[in-house]
Amino acid sequence: MLELKNITKIYNPGTITEMCLFEDFSLTIENGEFLSIVGSNGSGKTSLLNIICGSIPIEGGDVLVGGESIVRQQDYKRYNRIGRVYQNPAMGTCPSLTILENMSLADNKGQRYNLTAGINKKRRAYYREQLASLGLGLEDKLDVKLESLSGGQRQAVALIMATLTPVDFLILDEHTAALDPKTAETIMVLTDKIVREKNLTAMMVTHNLRYAVQYGSRLIMMNEGRVIYEKAGAEKAALAVDDVLHIFTEISIECGN
Amino acid sequence: MKNIAKLTRIAVLVLILSLAFSAAAGCSKTRVIGISQFGEHASLDNCRLGFLQGLKDAGLTEGQDFTIDYQNAGFDGAIATQIAQTFSAKNVALMCAIATPSATACYAAAEDKDIPVVFSAITDPVEAKLDSGNITGTSDKLAVDAQLELIRKLQPEADTIGILYTTSEPNSVSAIAEYKAKAGQYGFTIEAIGVTAQSEVTLAADSLIAKQVDCFSNLTDNTVVGVLASILEKTNEAGIPVYGSEVEQVKRGCVAAAGIDYYQLGRQTGAIAARILKGEAKASEIPYEVISEYGIYVNSEAIAAANLTVPADVAARMTEAKDA
Amino acid sequence: MNVLLDLAISTLTQGLIYALLSYGVYITYKILDFPDLTVDGSFPLGAAVTAVLLTRGTDPFLTLLIAIAIGALAGLVTGLIHVRLHVRDLLAGIITMTALFSINLQIAGSNMTVERAASTIFTADPVMALLGALPLIYRKLIVSLLIALIGKLVLDVYLKTKNGLLLRAVGDNSVLVTSLAKDKGLVKITGLVIANALVALSGAIVCHEQRAFSSTMGTGQVVFGLATVIIGTTLFRSMSFVKGTTAVLVGSILYKGCIQIAISIGLPANLLKLVTAVLFLGILVFGHARKGGVKAHA
Repeated sequence: MLELKNITKIYNPGTITEMCLFEDFSLTIENGEFLSIVGSNGSGKTSLLNIICGSIPIEGGDVLVGGESIVRQQDYKRYNRIGRVYQNPAMGTCPSLTILENMSLADNKGQRYNLTAGINKKRRAYYREQLASLGLGLEDKLDVKLESLSGGQRQAVALIMATLTPVDFLILDEHTAALDPKTAETIMVLTDKIVREKNLTAMMVTHNLRYAVQYGSRLIMMNEGRVIYEKAGAEKAALAVDDVLHIFTEISIECGN
Repeated sequence: MKNIAKLTRIAVLVLILSLAFSAAAGCSKTRVIGISQFGEHASLDNCRLGFLQGLKDAGLTEGQDFTIDYQNAGFDGAIATQIAQTFSAKNVALMCAIATPSATACYAAAEDKDIPVVFSAITDPVEAKLDSGNITGTSDKLAVDAQLELIRKLQPEADTIGILYTTSEPNSVSAIAEYKAKAGQYGFTIEAIGVTAQSEVTLAADSLIAKQVDCFSNLTDNTVVGVLASILEKTNEAGIPVYGSEVEQVKRGCVAAAGIDYYQLGRQTGAIAARILKGEAKASEIPYEVISEYGIYVNSEAIAAANLTVPADVAARMTEAKDA
Repeated sequence: MNVLLDLAISTLTQGLIYALLSYGVYITYKILDFPDLTVDGSFPLGAAVTAVLLTRGTDPFLTLLIAIAIGALAGLVTGLIHVRLHVRDLLAGIITMTALFSINLQIAGSNMTVERAASTIFTADPVMALLGALPLIYRKLIVSLLIALIGKLVLDVYLKTKNGLLLRAVGDNSVLVTSLAKDKGLVKITGLVIANALVALSGAIVCHEQRAFSSTMGTGQVVFGLATVIIGTTLFRSMSFVKGTTAVLVGSILYKGCIQIAISIGLPANLLKLVTAVLFLGILVFGHARKGGVKAHA
C-alpha cells in the first residue's frame, strides 16, 4: 500500500513566483491497483509521481509504503521498489550502449554493480524471449546501440527494463505521449500485460482519456492540486470516454487528446 | 577494415615522408650542433647569439666546421623533451641547452649516448643535478653582493628592498634566501612577495608599493620579468626605482643592474663548446663555470626620472644599457 | 635510416606515455561527460610524488602504484566537491587543480630533478635483466608500450564489468542510474578517481623518463588530452568495432607525431601551437566530412 499523507508542495518558496501546488493532499493506492491519473497541464499529475519517487522535495506531509515512511529516503534508494518509464523514450535507456548492455544493466538492479562481467551470456536467451514478446523484432538486435532505434522501440525496451527485476510499483509518466498512435497502442497493450502478469501496483499519468478509461482499475482526475473526480471498481469498469470528457469540458480545461 | 588499412597507410606515409625529409635535411657532412632554447626571450636570445659568437671566437666557422639546428620549445616542457629526443636521434655532435627545462630534457635524451651537453643560463647546476656526466656549461648565478652594493651607492638612505619572485622557481627561491642572508651587511631589509602565476605579479607589485619599499630589485625570474613593463608603469607612478639583474632589464627601463650580460655568458658557453668540438676536452672533464665578471649597467633616462645621483666610482665602471 | 628509426621510437614512446593521460580524459570527457580540469594538477602531482620517492630510493615500480593512489585521491576530492558540495563540474576541477599547484610544490619543495644514479622503471634491475642489452630508447619504448597496453587492457576489461557499465550509463543517461537504484554521484566519483589515477600515472612515467618535476608541467595537459580524445574518436568514428581506448591511444601517438614532424621540418616553435590547432581543426572537419559522406551513400 502506498500512502500520501497531508502533502504540502510549494514551488519556488519565498520568492515572488511562489506557487502552492498541494496543500494537505492525501491519496492512498492499494496493492495491485492500476491507477490512471488524468488532468490538465499544471494540475499536479507529474509532481505527484515525482513526490513519490523523491525527485522533488516537499514542504510537509509524509509518503508511506506499507505503513513505513520513505520521505527521508534518497531518490535512488526508493527506486529499489519502483520501476519508472518516462515520457521521453531517451530517459529510460542508455543511447550509446547496446540493447544487450542495457538489458544487463537493468537485470542487475537490486544487486551490487561490482567488478564481475557486466554481461551474463547465459541470460541472452532470456532477454531475447522478453524482447520477442514485444513483437518488434528487437530480439535479433541485441548488439545494436539504443541510439539507432526509433522512439517507440526505445520506449518498449525501457518498459521491459523497468520491470525486468521484481519491483512493487510501476510509475508511468505519460509514457505513450511521444509515440505515434500505433506504437502507443502497442506499448499500452504491453504495459497492461506486464502489470497483470507481474501483479504490479501501477500509477499511470496520461493525457489520453481513452487509455485512462480502457486500462486500469481506478481513475482519478486532478485539477489545481486536488482530486476532483474519482471512479473505481465496477463504476470504473462501466465508464465511457464521453463521461470523463464531459467532466473535463465542464471544468473548462483543455482536453488532452 | 578497409578504412583502417587506408588510414594507417596514410598516417604511416605522412610520418615517414616528413621524417625522411627531415633526415635528408640533417644529413650534411659537417657536424651539427643542436641548440635547444626553452623559449624566445631577450636574455635567452642574447645567450644564444653569444654562444654562436663564442664558437666563432674560437676559430670555428658555421657551415664549414659545424651547422646549427636551432629549436625553441615555446616554454613547453613536453616540447623541450621532443626537441631533445630529435637531437639525440639525429646524433648531433653537441647539444647546447639554454635554460633549465631544456637542459634536463637534453641530459635525459643523451643519457645512453655519448652526446655532450653544454648548458647555459642555469643558476644552480648542482641543485638541478646537472653537474655529473657528459655535461658542462655556464651558470647565471646572480651577483647579489654586487647588486646590494650598487643599490647602497645609488640610494644611501634606503632601508627596504622589495623583490617579487615565483615560488615554484628554485633559482628564485635560493636567490631570495641569499638576498635575505646578505641584506643585513649592507643595512637593508628584504620585503619579498612570492607569486605562482604571471597574472599575480602586478597585484604583488601593488602590495610592495603599499608597503613603502624604497626600491625594487629583480631576479632573473621569467614569470616576473615577463611583465616588467607593467611593473615599471606602477613603480614610476609611485616614484620607486627598480633595479634589474641583467642588462636586458635595464634596457627595458630599470635604473641599473649589477649583473650578467647574457651575451657574454653565451660567449663563455660557446668557448667551452668549442673546446669539446675540437677534442681538447670532454664535457665530463670540464667543470661548469660561473661568470667571473659582472658589469654595471645603467639607464640614464630612468636614473634621471628617479632623481638618483650616480657616485663617481660607479660612474667610472658603468656602461650605458641602450639599444643601438 | 637510423635517425628515422630513432625518431619514430622516441615519438612513439612519448605518445604511449601520454596515452595514459588520454585514457583519463577519455573517461571524464567522453564517458562521464564531465569536463575535468583536475588533470592540469593531477598530472604534475604524479610527477612530484615520483620525483620525491625516486630521490629517496623507493622501488621505481612502487612509485607508480603510489602515484596512482595519490592521483585517485585528487579525483576523489574533485568528485566530492562536485557531488557532495554541489559545485559545478568545471569549477570543482578548477578548485582542485588550483589547490594541487600549491600541494605539488609542498610535496616536491620546488621544481626538482632526480639524479642520474637513482634507478627508474627504465633502468631498474628487473628491466635491465631482461632488456639490458638494448639501448635506452628501446627499453623506454618497450616499458612504455607494456604500461600503455596493460592500462588499456585493464580499462577495456573494467568498462565491461557491471561497475564499468554503470559508469558508461551515468554519462549517457544519469536518470537511468537513479532508476537502477544507484547513487549517480558515487558513480561519477568513481569515474573521476579512475581518470585522475591514470593521469597521475602518466605524470609519474614522464618523471621517470625526464628525471624531473616542474610545477608548470601540467599546464595545457587538459587541452592535450581533449585533443587526443577528439582526434582519436573522430578518426575512428565510423568504425564502431575500434574501442575508445584504442582510438585515444592512436590519437595520442598522432598528436606527438605531428609535433615531431613540425620540429623536424624546422617549423618555428612559436608556430607549433598554431599548427596543432590547425591540425586539430583539420581532423575534426575531415571526420565530419567523412561522416557526411557515409550518410550520403546510405
